[in-house]
Amino acid sequence: MKLNPYITKSLSRQVVSLMTGCIILFIAGTGILFYHLQSLHAEYIQHRQSIVEKQLLVDDILDQYHSVFLNMTAYNVFNKEGLKEQAIGQEASIRGEIEEFKSIASTREDRVISSRLERFSDYYFNDALPSFLASQNISDTQITTHVSDFRSQIKSYLGKLSEMRDDNVKDLTKEQSVLQGLFVGLVLIFLFFFLFIVRSIVKNIGRPLAEFSMAANEIAAGREAVISVNEHRKDELGVLSIAFKKMLSSVQEKEQELMAHNEELMAQQDELHAQQNELQVTLGIIRDNERKLTRRNELINGISSTLDKSEVLKSIVFNMSNIISADRGMIALVHEDASSSFGISDNGVQQFRDNIHSGLNFRLLQEKKAFTIRREQLDAEKGYHENTNYSYDLYLPVLSTFQEVDAIMVYSRYGTSFTDQEVEECETLAKQIATSLDKIKLYEQTEGNRKLNQDILNTIKEGIQLIDQDGKVVQVNQPFCDIFKTGSTPEQVIDLPWDKWSAEMSFQVEGDTFSRSLDEAIQHLEEADHEQRSFIFKKKETNQVIKVYFEALRYREVGFGTILVYRDITKEYEVDQMKSEFVSTVSHELRTPLASVLGFTELMLNKPLKPERQTKYLQTIYNEAKRLTALINDFLDVQKMESGKQVYEKKYVDILPLLQKVIEHLEINTEHHDIQLQIETSDLLILGDRIKIEQAFTNLLSNSIKYSPYGGRIVVRIYSRNDMLVIDIEDEGLGIPKESLPHLFQKFYRVDNSDRRRIGGTGLGLAIVDEIIKSHGGQVTVVSHYGKGSTFTISLPSVTQKEAGLNHDRQSMKLSYEIMVIEDDINLAELLKYELMDSGFHVNYFNSGRRAFEELKKSPPDAIVLDILLEEGEMDGWGILRELKVSAGFKEIPVFISTALDEREKGLSLGAKDYLVKPYKPSQLSKVIMHTLLSNSKKGQILIPHSCEEGDRV
Amino acid sequence: MKRILLAEDEEVLRMLVVDTLEDEAYEVDEAADGLEAVQLLNSRTYDLVILDYMMPGYTGLEIIEKIQSSEIKAQGKILMLSAKSQQFEQERILEAGADYFMAKPFSPLKLIEKIEVILHEAESIHY
Repeated sequence: MKLNPYITKSLSRQVVSLMTGCIILFIAGTGILFYHLQSLHAEYIQHRQSIVEKQLLVDDILDQYHSVFLNMTAYNVFNKEGLKEQAIGQEASIRGEIEEFKSIASTREDRVISSRLERFSDYYFNDALPSFLASQNISDTQITTHVSDFRSQIKSYLGKLSEMRDDNVKDLTKEQSVLQGLFVGLVLIFLFFFLFIVRSIVKNIGRPLAEFSMAANEIAAGREAVISVNEHRKDELGVLSIAFKKMLSSVQEKEQELMAHNEELMAQQDELHAQQNELQVTLGIIRDNERKLTRRNELINGISSTLDKSEVLKSIVFNMSNIISADRGMIALVHEDASSSFGISDNGVQQFRDNIHSGLNFRLLQEKKAFTIRREQLDAEKGYHENTNYSYDLYLPVLSTFQEVDAIMVYSRYGTSFTDQEVEECETLAKQIATSLDKIKLYEQTEGNRKLNQDILNTIKEGIQLIDQDGKVVQVNQPFCDIFKTGSTPEQVIDLPWDKWSAEMSFQVEGDTFSRSLDEAIQHLEEADHEQRSFIFKKKETNQVIKVYFEALRYREVGFGTILVYRDITKEYEVDQMKSEFVSTVSHELRTPLASVLGFTELMLNKPLKPERQTKYLQTIYNEAKRLTALINDFLDVQKMESGKQVYEKKYVDILPLLQKVIEHLEINTEHHDIQLQIETSDLLILGDRIKIEQAFTNLLSNSIKYSPYGGRIVVRIYSRNDMLVIDIEDEGLGIPKESLPHLFQKFYRVDNSDRRRIGGTGLGLAIVDEIIKSHGGQVTVVSHYGKGSTFTISLPSVTQKEAGLNHDRQSMKLSYEIMVIEDDINLAELLKYELMDSGFHVNYFNSGRRAFEELKKSPPDAIVLDILLEEGEMDGWGILRELKVSAGFKEIPVFISTALDEREKGLSLGAKDYLVKPYKPSQLSKVIMHTLLSNSKKGQILIPHSCEEGDRV
Repeated sequence: MKRILLAEDEEVLRMLVVDTLEDEAYEVDEAADGLEAVQLLNSRTYDLVILDYMMPGYTGLEIIEKIQSSEIKAQGKILMLSAKSQQFEQERILEAGADYFMAKPFSPLKLIEKIEVILHEAESIHY
């Protein structure tokens, strides 16, 4: 192909140019055909127009001739000049039309016809017509022949023209068909041409492209590829081919390069792999560390979240078991009974606890280092496995700060042994646990101390309140809460602000100065002296009198707060008041008789008096002095009783002889009183202090006598009522006014009554009676009719003989046992005598053994109290004892040795019943003798001596 | 003759005072308690009234108050005897209107001396 290089360089241009050429050719061909068809059509129309024009002209001429003929004929007939004129006038237009025809006459025939027309016109107008006019009768025949001829000639011409027109159409149709055929041919040629072009394009472009694509595929697949496309082609494909080849070679080059590169990369990759491995190892370590940290964190969180020991132990076991994936484990404190376990039965725990100091624990306690044990699994651990499996136990010590084993931890794992690393980690964790246990220990200690402090505070009877500088309550004790109902426990009071607690307390206190006093006292504590650091207030409801002391509290030279001590001094206060009242009363009561004594004495000393008056004064002085003595005795009694110092030596006392003795004693002093004793019961025993009971009855009876100044009957009636022994003392005296009855037993109370004024008294007698009887579990009451007399009733708990250990009736009861006392010290002998007599014994006292023996022979006593060291030259106690024990009549008499010699064994071996070493409580002797005698009389035989208890000795 | 009322519930002391005063030639009326004393005081005016502090019926103090409030007849001088010898008791008694105070136990001779002084004073004022 030899195309313009411009076109040959571009495939698209090639295609476009080919297509353009093709289209141009097609359009040109079509244009030519179209033009031809147009010109053909125009020619046809022209032809047809000229024919139609000729036809019309000819027709018109013919028509005009026709009208001329007609006019002429009509002229001929009608001879109307107008007609002739009209006919002649038409000659010009006919002639004009003929001329016109002549101008368009194209063919020979036309020209023949035009000349024929000219000739006919000439003929007709020039010849025929004038002739006709001239003659007027010219022959018609000639003219007619002419005209007919002419007509036929014209008619034939017109026929010919029609024929020509038809031919013309036929020609046109024919030419058009030819042209259509040509157009079809043109289209066919174009199509062929187009196909050719497409084919050539396909051949020139498609194939090399296919080749390229294949080659590209080949290359892409990594194979060799050959391009057969002509390199000399100038179009893109040529370029492409060159480029492709270049690319191919460059690809190959690149590939080689890449290969080299690849190798290099491979090397690098290897290196990276190595680095990655290294990193992974590091990462593993980091993860490991992180895991450890997390576990430790969990453990620490678990154990530091509470201070409750059992909670912490539980948390330790749980977390540790988790950390080392133990299947079971426990922790047990070595020094305390505290433990916690995971997966272990109570029995197991107990077993472990029981052996905490032995076995493997012992090893741990010794080594203080963790160790592991591999052992065969127990049946229970084996599950369904039949073959031998192993379990691993990890023993871990928890070491205190002093490197002592505080706690032992044991963890078991089935099948997997503990690695050194794990053990090491566990040991680290154990340290953490140790710290936490230490902390708990410290906390418990602190808490214990706190509790102890609180307990100590609570045991103090005073209410204690510690407030800080702002007046807020820091600490109080239970007694404080009991005094002030600000809260029932210290916890409820602690932290109350000043306003609140002081207001609440003020509310409970009499008066309204409490809060202010408190505030002032605290504010001015520094400058206050000891006295000012306290004040006393009274509580409203309870009437408690409370003294509050203040003491500033300093901590490192800085004021920390104030300690307030509330002491309930109600009792002291009352006692104080009572005391001063007592003192005042006593002084008053003493002053009156003293005034008499002093006054009369003064008179006697300073005035010359008659003997009668002197006697009278002396008598008065004597009486008043006696009264003073009685007063003083009563005061002392009352004082003793009130201070609680009165000791009642209670023994079984038969009330009857006691009353008899009192009555006997009082009867002597009165003549007008008839004292009768009525006994209506046989239970006459009471447990009481003989002397005091006697005093009580003496007081009552002497009152009865005193207040029956005009004499009368006094009945003492003894009877039983509801386990009480009741004694009525009924007089017919003055009686007691009703309003005085309630005060009768008060100290210093004296009934105001003019009759009574003459009757002396301290006002203490009945108070003393009341006190004595109350101390014996009894009661004294009074019924009185003023002016008629009074009945005082004493009731005392009666004691049955059985209770008293006396199982025989009163008649047979030998209350007055005979006791022989052999003692050289008279004072001691007297003491013993009174003591024994008090206990109802009859006592015979001897200061020498010899005389005692003489008496013995006369009437043997029931018991002998024997001193060892007797007067010199006499038989000593040992001698007497020996002699007694060999003589048949006396050897069964119980002998009680009372001596300063501490030779108990000797005494007992010689046959003494008991051996009392001086000094001893006299009542001890009575007790021992009574006991021995009573058991003897009960069993009717002599028993083995009862030794007295050490503790009973004084 | 000066007339004196002695109101004292202790018989013995009454005897002591009466004996002493009668020896000095005073005329003495005795009252054994407050009620008796009031009765007697209403019947006449005494030159001197000796009152015991603690008496049944009315106390010495109550009787003084009665005299002060004119409930009973106005009297001459008033001497109070009391076992309550404390300072404040004395002051109370003197404030109440007693002219003199004597603590128990008292010396009968001193009492006489005192009475003489009192009555003399009274005289010197009257005349």
